[in-house]
Amino acid sequence: MLTINNLHVSVKQKEVLGGVNLSIPENEVHALFGANGSGKSVLISTIMGYPEYKVTRGEILFRGQNITELNIDERVKLGLGISEQRPPTIKGVKLEYLVNLLAPEKMNDETFRIKMLEHFGMDKFLNRNINDGFSGGEIKKSELFLLLLTRPDFLVLDEPDSGVDPEHLKMIGAMITEILQKKKQEGERCNPQARSSGLIATHSAEILNYIHTDKAHIMLDGKICCSGNPAVMMEQIRALGYSYCIECQHANQEEH
Amino acid sequence: MEQFAGIMQDAKMQKNEAGVDYSRFDNIEEAGNSFSSFENLSLNNEDLGSLKAVGIHLFDNASPGKFLMYGADVYRSIPQIPGVEIIPLKEAFKIYPEIKEKYYFRAVDKEQDEFTQTAFNEAANGYFIRVKENVIVDEPMQTAMFMHREMSTMCIHNIVVLEDGAQLNLITGCTSGCSLKGGLHIAVSEHFIGKGAKLTNTMIHNWGADFVVHPRTATIVDENGRFVSNYYSVKPPKYIENNPSTYLRGKGANAKYLTVLASFPGTYCDIGGTVLMEGENTGAELVARAVNHGGTVIQTGLLIGAAKNARAHVDCSGLMLSDKGIIEAIPGLRAAHPEARMSHEAAIGRIDMGEVNYLQSKGLDEMQAIALIVRGFLDVDIEGMDDELRKTIREISELSGHGED
Ligand SMILES: Nc1ncnc2c1ncn2[C@@H]1O[C@H](COP(=O)(O)OP(=O)(O)OP(=O)(O)O)[C@@H](O)[C@H]1O
Ligand SMILES: [Mg+2]
Repeated sequence: MLTINNLHVSVKQKEVLGGVNLSIPENEVHALFGANGSGKSVLISTIMGYPEYKVTRGEILFRGQNITELNIDERVKLGLGISEQRPPTIKGVKLEYLVNLLAPEKMNDETFRIKMLEHFGMDKFLNRNINDGFSGGEIKKSELFLLLLTRPDFLVLDEPDSGVDPEHLKMIGAMITEILQKKKQEGERCNPQARSSGLIATHSAEILNYIHTDKAHIMLDGKICCSGNPAVMMEQIRALGYSYCIECQHANQEEH
Repeated sequence: MEQFAGIMQDAKMQKNEAGVDYSRFDNIEEAGNSFSSFENLSLNNEDLGSLKAVGIHLFDNASPGKFLMYGADVYRSIPQIPGVEIIPLKEAFKIYPEIKEKYYFRAVDKEQDEFTQTAFNEAANGYFIRVKENVIVDEPMQTAMFMHREMSTMCIHNIVVLEDGAQLNLITGCTSGCSLKGGLHIAVSEHFIGKGAKLTNTMIHNWGADFVVHPRTATIVDENGRFVSNYYSVKPPKYIENNPSTYLRGKGANAKYLTVLASFPGTYCDIGGTVLMEGENTGAELVARAVNHGGTVIQTGLLIGAAKNARAHVDCSGLMLSDKGIIEAIPGLRAAHPEARMSHEAAIGRIDMGEVNYLQSKGLDEMQAIALIVRGFLDVDIEGMDDELRKTIREISELSGHGED
């Protein structure tokens, strides 16, 4: 569904991604691990089309279409959706205004209000300015809530779990699962396995208890250095740190 | 460096470039009627729409008294609330001869400039509104000034008197309709706010591109009285200079100004306010918001603290949405008493593209994202603001979403 070929990205004339290759098939959700500063957020922002990240080489294909040159809103229309690690505060703009623009019908839908808005405790944020004074965990919840409104076909989630307490982590997990369930709910297909696809950057193993991930990738210095089973890889990182990557690169290559 | 030559001058110099040539305008029209009721008025849907755009709903019966100057003709409906009057000024002088001595050019100095002199010499008509002691009017009173003849001159004089303890929410819409290009609008407004009384005056302007507008407004506030002034410009004229004065005479009197405007290429808007805090424990706040698409905007605020414990704050902010154009914020404070406490803030900047991109990533297109951010910028908490006025603000923001054209 999403294929990235030899992607080189520069920020302020400095190369941050140096040839990323990644492929995420339909109905699969992949995890993205990697040390601080390795380039996870840059990759995610580039997939979404943020203009400060300049693609100098390579391409991003979405459902076979080259989207490398498309604007953010064009990518959203094609079915991409993002939850940001550190979204900006928008002064004076109530969350409700945005929600009403994105999904006016949902706000009048009683089931949605009870099942989503109240259930995930978002009702009390509608009247507040977007991300203004939200706690770390509240920001994550708000980001996911906005995705619940539009249910994109492909999610890029940048650390949706960081700074979230164990109890709320469960809720965050439930929200992500709910967003991913798009297709099943809309009855587009009979396949009960059918769901949206996505890429989730995370540092923790816990979130993976709540969301089924099919594969994991580790980012090291702006490249994906190895890929494999999410749980196994997380174990290794825990035990050996990211330096294990460098060694495992060979092993991984043999595996394939 | 040549390109900056104009900018290096005081922005007020730009007004010369606005090139106001008064000979283009016709003389002030003779009054057509002395006054008439709304049953005798027929307006087409376009005109009614223009009035709605400036917050005026003539045929909505909830309003406690209405007043319309349509060119030189006066229409009004009599308030059904005892103690509330709205009368054409010329008629009011006949009915209550004493008010001329008491209020006429008692807040505004008739010698102030050529425009106040014109209003005096022409004995301009307008409204006289009076709310008697302790009468509280809940619903907003609506008044409108409608210019409907190309290149005409409208000259008006309004007086509002709130006796002690009275409260009034007044909306005044000034418009030139949808199709008119040019004209000259001169308006003297005098407000007298009694002890513990409260006036909320909301003014909404929507002008054709070649209009010249000179409001001259002054307000006198007695002990513990409160004056809230909201000014919105949906579409600015070619030239407007609006710098109302407020005199906080009595102890504990209080004034709050809010001005919100969007400016377009070829327009010059000098919008501000001066508050003189003469009484002890008086307070003044001035908030100005401007979105500039390429005209000249001057935000002038001058708060003068001349008494013990006078408190004042000025906040001028501007958003530049175009590479052309100027916003000059002049938040002024003048302390004339050692125990006056005064502060100001001013910020001018371009729209944050990070915010625009963020909203796009949530599913808005660029126009929608800009309009939403501008709306947030303009949507300061306002007293006396109802849904209609919120809609007006939304319209101003939506214009912004459409960029420079
Ligand atoms: N706008 C920017 N300007 C300058 N440098 C940037 C910018 N964005 C990212 N970088 C740099 O690019 C590198 C990768 O950053 P990125 O945010 O992708 O890391 P990350 O893997 O998401 O880290 P973390 O786990 O801490 O979130 C870092 O060295 C960072 O400083
Ligand atoms: Mg990151």
